[in-house]
Amino acid sequence: MRRYESIHRPERAGGCAPPPPEAAGGTGRREGRRPEPSRRSGRQGAGVRGDPMSRLGVEVTKVSAFFQKNWRMTRRNVMSVFEVAFWPVVGLVSVGLMTTFLGLGREAAVFVLVGTLAFSVVHVCQLDVAYAVLFDIWGKSLKHQFLAPVRPWHVVLGAWLMGLLRAAVVFLLMAGVSRWAFGVSFLAPGWSPVAAFFLGLVASAAGVGLGVVTLLLLLGVHAEVTAWSGVSLVLLLCGIYYPVSLLPAPLATVAGAIPLTYFLEAFRAHFGFAPTFGEPLLRGYALALAYLAGGYAAFAWAVTRARRTGMLLRLSD
Amino acid sequence: MVRSESAVEVRELEKTFRTGWPRRRRQVALRGVSFAVRAGSIFAVLGPNGAGKTTLLSILGTLLFPDRGEARVLGLDVVRDADRLRERINMASGSASFLWSLTPREILDITARSYGLSGAARRARVAALLERFELAAFAGLPYNELSTGLRQRLALAKAFVNDPELLILDEPTVGLDPDIAVRVRADIAALRRERRVTVLLSTHYMREAEQLCDEIVFLREGRILARGDPASLKRQILVGDRIVMGVEGAGWRGVVRLPGILTVSAEEGRVECLVDDARKRLPEILRYLGEQGVSVSDVGVTEPSLESVFIELAR
Repeated sequence: MRRYESIHRPERAGGCAPPPPEAAGGTGRREGRRPEPSRRSGRQGAGVRGDPMSRLGVEVTKVSAFFQKNWRMTRRNVMSVFEVAFWPVVGLVSVGLMTTFLGLGREAAVFVLVGTLAFSVVHVCQLDVAYAVLFDIWGKSLKHQFLAPVRPWHVVLGAWLMGLLRAAVVFLLMAGVSRWAFGVSFLAPGWSPVAAFFLGLVASAAGVGLGVVTLLLLLGVHAEVTAWSGVSLVLLLCGIYYPVSLLPAPLATVAGAIPLTYFLEAFRAHFGFAPTFGEPLLRGYALALAYLAGGYAAFAWAVTRARRTGMLLRLSD
Repeated sequence: MVRSESAVEVRELEKTFRTGWPRRRRQVALRGVSFAVRAGSIFAVLGPNGAGKTTLLSILGTLLFPDRGEARVLGLDVVRDADRLRERINMASGSASFLWSLTPREILDITARSYGLSGAARRARVAALLERFELAAFAGLPYNELSTGLRQRLALAKAFVNDPELLILDEPTVGLDPDIAVRVRADIAALRRERRVTVLLSTHYMREAEQLCDEIVFLREGRILARGDPASLKRQILVGDRIVMGVEGAGWRGVVRLPGILTVSAEEGRVECLVDDARKRLPEILRYLGEQGVSVSDVGVTEPSLESVFIELAR
């Protein structure tokens, strides 16, 4: 039988592996006994906190685990091509052709196409946040990621970064198709407004995704349909295809509580639509941050609750 | 009960699952379990299905929080210090599942990242684990194309990714080919011998528990029924030793009246005696048979297996 030393010796200094006994103040004997647990407890995580990686480096590496998971799953999954390229483009072209067929003016077409773009970007980005948990629920492997010393924010941030990447692809692809097919350039307002809009969309998506993963951890895989139905409902209230002023008063109030409403208003203002609300970007970011904070708190609570109720085990092997 | 050299200290641990809606169903999994595990030992949790083994191991692995009681692993509370504890322990399940389209290399790489391992150290660790568990040839195959044995080995390899001080193994050899199972057992024994890793395992294979473990607890319906090393458990349960003799002559029937003889049966010239302690009773039986003019051609003594203890306790 090969000896364990052959595995562990080379990388003792890095990651969370304990250092050699001499480095830990041990006896210096390499073979045989490890340092006593009581002595080790004073330096737990020393491998993490010490050289060669900074604490920040370790946190970044942990986040990268969840980015990598989504990245590798995306590369293997044929559906991801549909999510990123097919459905957003088909949606945009359908809506664009419909505006032509209905004889809507250029202004109305731009209004609707911006809404379609926003919907697709938010949808794709929130999918990735949801995938942070959903892939593992489908694979019955959820407990493995929560067995590791990771915090909920590592999970969500890593997945969201992948979502951000996919959302950027969707945005650029739709911008290209829109310009080519309908002569509407989403990049026309300039990089700064576009970046502000895109950031608002992906921030909104993070909030939506957090809501979905929280529901999944609370209710299990049956929550999947409920969660996404709720998401679609909320997205439709924020004025994607029509101004929120068209909504009945109670629904307009609900729309006023959705960050995406403000990001759409702010971006459409660059195409000549007067905003209903003052300082829409500021309001949008303030609301998005509030939802992010609330969503994260809810997700962290749901993880703890899943450990208490056994949901984590029920959703695993 | 709680000793400073203990790697695991469990006191009055209780856990009840509440499922169903709107009518809640209660399922009591653990009812006041207490024990300690010596650092560097191999400790087995045995019991029939539904005894609470996985619940207990999951609590010690921080995947599940207890309702009441206290559990400390490596001196850390499994609830309050769970984050710090996770860096120092790991867990593998015999029925583990991973993302189906990822390869063993990717699964180990992602797991290593989630423990904060980066760069060359991570790549070296992943390569060493693939080599160690003989997965290198299958490192690029998607998980759903791996055989049961390979999946099992991957689950074990994953459990070593952070070089744990304490390893929790839930039925680690279930579904493995016999040769691989033997090697896994040897690996577990080597871990304790060479690295002083504390191992907690649940198993249905009594031989595995008997071969590997320093101490065993038997759980049934969330309670500890018995605990001790394999030999002492056999003594506690009084399953008895079996003495089988080839005899000629009819005078053997009086053996049943000797002290320490539990049962006697005979078939075609062979007499089987169940006794409390073979070492003590065999000379007395042979002396008695000699006095009765019964000639004994051969003698065999069988000690009870852990399996018979298990059956007795699970009854």
